[in-house]
Amino acid sequence: MRETPKYQNKIELLQGTLDMLVLQALVREPMHGYAIAQVLRSRSDEVFNVETGSLYPALHRLERQKWVKSEWKLTEARQRAKFYQLTALGRKHLASDHQRWLQLVRAIGAVMVPEAQP
Amino acid sequence: MFWPWERAKEGLREELDSHLNMAVAERVAHGEDPAQARAAALRELGNLPLIRDVARERWGWMWLENLVHDTRYALRQLRSAPAFTATALLTLAFGVGANLGVFQLLYAVILAELPIPHPEEVVRIQAARTPFDQSWTISYPAYQRLRAATPEVPLMASANAQDATLELPNRASIEATLAPVSDNYFSGLGVAPAAGRLFVLADERMGQDEWPAVLRYDFARNTFGSAQQAVGRHLVLNGRAFVVIGVTHRRFLGDITGRAPDIWLPLALQSTGAFAFSWDSLGPGHDVSLDKPWYDQPTIFWLELTARIPPERRAAVLAHWDQAFRNDRVVMTEATADPALKAARLQVKTGVAPLSENGMSKRFTAPLTLLMALSASIFLVGCLNLANLQLARLNTRARELSVRMALGASSGRLLRQIVLEDALLVAGGSACAFVLGRAASGILVRWASNRNALFMFDLHPNLPLAALGAGLMLLSLLCFSILPAVIFIRTGVAHTAGSGAKVVGISQTAIQRFRSNMLLGTQVSLSLLLSTMAGCFAATLVHWETVDVGMDREHVLIVRPELHQPRYTDHSEMLPELYRQIQERLQALPGVRSAAVEMCGGIHCGWITALYVHGRSGLTDEQAHGQEDHVGLGFFSTVGIPILRGRDFSAGDTDKTQRVAIISRAYARQLFGDEDPIGQWVGYVPAPDDHKFMIVGEVADARVNGAEREAPPVVYMCINQNPAPVNSIRVRAVGDPRQLADTVRQALREVDPTLPVSEIVPLATELNGDLGTNKLLARLAAIYASLTLLLIAIGFYGVMSSRTARRKSEFGIRLALGATRRNIQMLIVGQTARILVAGILPGAILSIFAVRAAGHFLYGSVSANSLVIIAASLVLACASFIATLIPARCAAFADPLETLRSE
Repeated sequence: MRETPKYQNKIELLQGTLDMLVLQALVREPMHGYAIAQVLRSRSDEVFNVETGSLYPALHRLERQKWVKSEWKLTEARQRAKFYQLTALGRKHLASDHQRWLQLVRAIGAVMVPEAQP
Repeated sequence: MFWPWERAKEGLREELDSHLNMAVAERVAHGEDPAQARAAALRELGNLPLIRDVARERWGWMWLENLVHDTRYALRQLRSAPAFTATALLTLAFGVGANLGVFQLLYAVILAELPIPHPEEVVRIQAARTPFDQSWTISYPAYQRLRAATPEVPLMASANAQDATLELPNRASIEATLAPVSDNYFSGLGVAPAAGRLFVLADERMGQDEWPAVLRYDFARNTFGSAQQAVGRHLVLNGRAFVVIGVTHRRFLGDITGRAPDIWLPLALQSTGAFAFSWDSLGPGHDVSLDKPWYDQPTIFWLELTARIPPERRAAVLAHWDQAFRNDRVVMTEATADPALKAARLQVKTGVAPLSENGMSKRFTAPLTLLMALSASIFLVGCLNLANLQLARLNTRARELSVRMALGASSGRLLRQIVLEDALLVAGGSACAFVLGRAASGILVRWASNRNALFMFDLHPNLPLAALGAGLMLLSLLCFSILPAVIFIRTGVAHTAGSGAKVVGISQTAIQRFRSNMLLGTQVSLSLLLSTMAGCFAATLVHWETVDVGMDREHVLIVRPELHQPRYTDHSEMLPELYRQIQERLQALPGVRSAAVEMCGGIHCGWITALYVHGRSGLTDEQAHGQEDHVGLGFFSTVGIPILRGRDFSAGDTDKTQRVAIISRAYARQLFGDEDPIGQWVGYVPAPDDHKFMIVGEVADARVNGAEREAPPVVYMCINQNPAPVNSIRVRAVGDPRQLADTVRQALREVDPTLPVSEIVPLATELNGDLGTNKLLARLAAIYASLTLLLIAIGFYGVMSSRTARRKSEFGIRLALGATRRNIQMLIVGQTARILVAGILPGAILSIFAVRAAGHFLYGSVSANSLVIIAASLVLACASFIATLIPARCAAFADPLETLRSE
């Protein structure tokens, strides 16, 4: 039986990063919501446990912004599911988001350089 | 599914389901028990409805979805209360519609400007008053002089002509109203043609074979199908050939409010003699030849002037015209015998008056303002009534609303739902109101019009009207929905948030009761005001419809023959014989007491004349001026004017014998004081020609100018001594004169088969047809009064039933403790009585002030009007008690056990 990760172990996602993560998850192939949640969890070593209550509103928001589009298809297990696919617009947006994120990380890294101890 | 979000919602549900299924499948694959797996997956998923809601919010149409939901809910609510919905719709439709209808008329009569560029520059020119009619008209030569004096100022002239008979090929002939105007009329005003062209200088040529005519837009459309089709068509007007050269812009209805001409004609048309123009002159004895063309006669005054002068240039232009007009002013005062008056008239300076200052606005400003005030009060009564019903209705919904609030509905959402419900009502009511208002203004115009001449106004919807409509909509929404709902949500729901028992048993707080009592009381006051006004106006109308006019109004028939044809006018010496035959033939008819001819065709027709007494000098114009009419033998006995002294005209009075005259009491008093007028000599001009007529009789005064106007001084001449075509034949019947119409028409055909009869109308109809203002006020006020009475009844019924429903258990206990049903009834009726007293007292004071303020339109003393107030109060009280008794009886006859058990 698998241990469910405790809430305390999870890292609160920075505002706006969920969109980027979701878009990134969709870069390679179209996916349904459950798969996106799984991918985010496994790639982050179980750190990001994206709540359904955030994921689906985010997906619907992205769809409304035309960054993803959706289609009902059958999964490998012959189950009907809604697959989300990155659009060209979404790809462009992801690129710029990624760029900004790298900038942010660099900037934070630069600020957080351990000071030489006197 | 109809709404896009329904499909989206379905998709979302399915998507979350598939998520759940996959999570369960994975857990099962990991070896969990299916039931446990499902429970764990659900737990992991979280609050499903909340997720759905949040996801839906991301779609961005939640507000629209809510609105549709609320609208649907509101419609369901409205459908579930059909009585309230119908009352509200009708109240709003009538309350707003009445205001819109009256305002549209008010706007058209008083506020609207001519639809031309810079209407404020256009003014009437008042050069000099004519000697007899006292109108502002001048002669054609004078007009030419003024126009030549200031070539750069557009100075337009128009004349007043009687309606003409319009003949079209293959169609029945119709009467058309005419407006003869100068060539620069349209260009000066700046009116654009809708089709063809308007008048130019060349149209003023004399003696054209085919005269040019310009048609009014709607007239052209009704007659020829469209403006374009009308241009180039040939018409025959009073036997003369015309060609339509153009049609005016559709909004242009002439420059006189209410009187839209069908056809505009050139002034030169007068020379044909085929049309009857209004005119004034210096009177007999001066150089006047009415039969010859008038364009070169300086002593016939028939042109009214209109000019376009910018305000800053007015003084200079008028001074210029005074110079040019000096000689004409001297000519126009030649007939004025009174030296002081003559000197004063010579000093008069040319002035201007705005076009809006006309008889129409003078006559209707006050009544229409009054009606506007009455309309505003009915709107107010309606709003108060709805506010009260709304409060009562909300009270009955208190339980439902409090439960919904307890379940988490926000008060904002509740408020929005209630207001939306009423906004739907207001929107529906206002749509009805616009339709009603349009119809109403048309009907009002018809009521206000005289019998023969329908007023014509531009009643197109306009911006001020739309603004008023929108304003009233918002005001009504605020009054009857937003305010009560806010008050209720703030106070009512909080009180009822307790248990069901408390809700049923809750007694209205004192302040709530006071509020609804005050609303009802105010309604009673306003309603009393409206009922009183309605009663007073009705009494006034009845008075004028039945007042003694000095003639036998119930039995006289007015027959209008068309004698203005060359066949008769060229052989006027034959006319006395024709009149004798007509009289003899008609008097031989069964049911006819007598018949006589008269120059006047109806009321308001005698022309102004002057009589000077032989052997008496120093008569002022005021004494000398009176009205003149030429009548045939037996006229006085036919219309029922008693002969006081002397004799009637007789067969012996012919054009070969001494000219004789009969004067009315009022004229005799003016000329001779208390002396006996019989045997006195009078003439049209002062000495030496002041003995043309001998007075042979004196008759009683009669209101020949209409029931409302004082009997004028009249002199009657014998038509056989100066034979001319008459305009009416009066027939006095034994019974109802209406029944004689056909036999009279037949008899006239036997006397002269070629004599057309244009109209046969009873004298009473003719007199009553002149009471437009009274009729308008009486009918509209009556409608308003009955509406408010209905509203009051509905108000009392609604409020009292809601109250008795709330106090049902209390009444049950009272009955159980020994109160009689009568006690219960009296308890409820007593409430109504208190409200009535509280409303009637201020209402009566208000009514007294209103009756005073409207005294100008009312006939009768203050005490008579006070009686009306009492009567109106009684009617109001009756209606209210009847409306209260229904719920009171219901409450009193309910089974006490039943009501207590339901607790």
